[in-house]
Amino acid sequence: MAKQRVDGGRGRRPGVVSSAKRGGPGRGFWLALGLVAVLGLGALGYVASRPKVTARTIDPTLPPMKAEGYLIGSPSAPLEVIEFGDFECPGCGQFATVTEPDIRANLVNTGKIRFRFMDFPLPMHKNTWDASLAAACANDQGKFWQMHDALFQNQDRWNGEATGKPRPVMHDLAQGLGLDMAKYDACMDSEQHRAQIQANLEEGERRQVNSTPTFVIGTRMVPGALYYDQFKQLVDEELAKLPARPDSAKAAAIAPAAAAPATPKKADSSATPAAK
Amino acid sequence: MNKRMLVALGALAGVFVALYLTLYKLGYIGTLACAVGSCETVQTSKWATFLGVPVGSWGVGYYLGVLAIALVGLTPRFADAPSVSRLLAGVTTFGVLFSLWLTYLELFVIHAICMWCVGSAIIATTLCILSWLDLRDVNAFLEDTAEGAADHLRGEGYGAGIRNTAEVTVQATRENQ
Repeated sequence: MAKQRVDGGRGRRPGVVSSAKRGGPGRGFWLALGLVAVLGLGALGYVASRPKVTARTIDPTLPPMKAEGYLIGSPSAPLEVIEFGDFECPGCGQFATVTEPDIRANLVNTGKIRFRFMDFPLPMHKNTWDASLAAACANDQGKFWQMHDALFQNQDRWNGEATGKPRPVMHDLAQGLGLDMAKYDACMDSEQHRAQIQANLEEGERRQVNSTPTFVIGTRMVPGALYYDQFKQLVDEELAKLPARPDSAKAAAIAPAAAAPATPKKADSSATPAAK
Repeated sequence: MNKRMLVALGALAGVFVALYLTLYKLGYIGTLACAVGSCETVQTSKWATFLGVPVGSWGVGYYLGVLAIALVGLTPRFADAPSVSRLLAGVTTFGVLFSLWLTYLELFVIHAICMWCVGSAIIATTLCILSWLDLRDVNAFLEDTAEGAADHLRGEGYGAGIRNTAEVTVQATRENQ
């Protein structure tokens, strides 16, 4: 009997916990743990400081856009940047609240670019259509960009995770912007801009947009929320590709935009006549 | 390296995967590095939040918890404690079940796969297997020492239990080195 038990001890599988560990884990373990920690922190630091930007060249044979979205900046600015965005997407919210103010101040208001927002409501966001409708209704009263900013700044109040009934929150936001609420409510109730938003969405699909935000900067399409430095670098590269313009044309392009406020009067918001 | 050490290392790796997804969700990382699958589709879905907290943050808490239990289990006081092994086995089994539910959502509800979530599910499964192996080893060890002690008390095979324990001790010491 005793023999069997002795053999049983010899036949034990490796890795058994035992009182041999009275001294705790050895130096090798702590080194391995430290290595994992350093690698993990290093990788996180890298991706946090240098998010990946992948730009691809747009097919030059694509016909011009049909839907028009909402424009800010001088129509005669030399370069147009288009954002395909979803009001409920966190990345779009980050871009709108962190990066976009700098873009408006340094690139739009100085006449270097004009910026166009195109609705691209993603199917997994249940409240995003209401947000697009609210923004379109605000646009009827010349306050698309104010509503755009308010929606993104308050995204956590009305998104699908916060509520199943986002319209009261959006109503409050519209009221805060001083909209004519009778007109706004009628617009929301009739959902009269649904076709226009659908046209913006279809324009993105036609351009093979598959995530938000996605930017079209000159000849390139760039997915992901960009930081200002990345955005400006792409803009500068595209501006450098443009043929030189006469100084008088440049001045004409810059002057009205420089004089304009950060948020424009009324965004042009027309969709295709067919979509309407 | 014994099983608890491997659990601790795996849990720390899991902390960083979950932290990466959390940082994305909180807006500190612009885009997810996603060579395979549709990470952003998954991460921007309503399922990326559980009880109002990003799923990645739950993951950070879970992996930190497993790491803490494993590290406590490596201290001399708890080195042989079966309670630590049972706790690890229970917690990591819950982790695997939660990962299974998330993978089900990805495949059949969201219809998109996030490779970081798959990576986390693989880590969670590995931790669970290691924890159950650790529990089996601890139980086997305690069984052996109990039988050895019983032999000694009965006067049968005098020293068998001591030799048995000594062999295991030497073996584990070698492994630690």
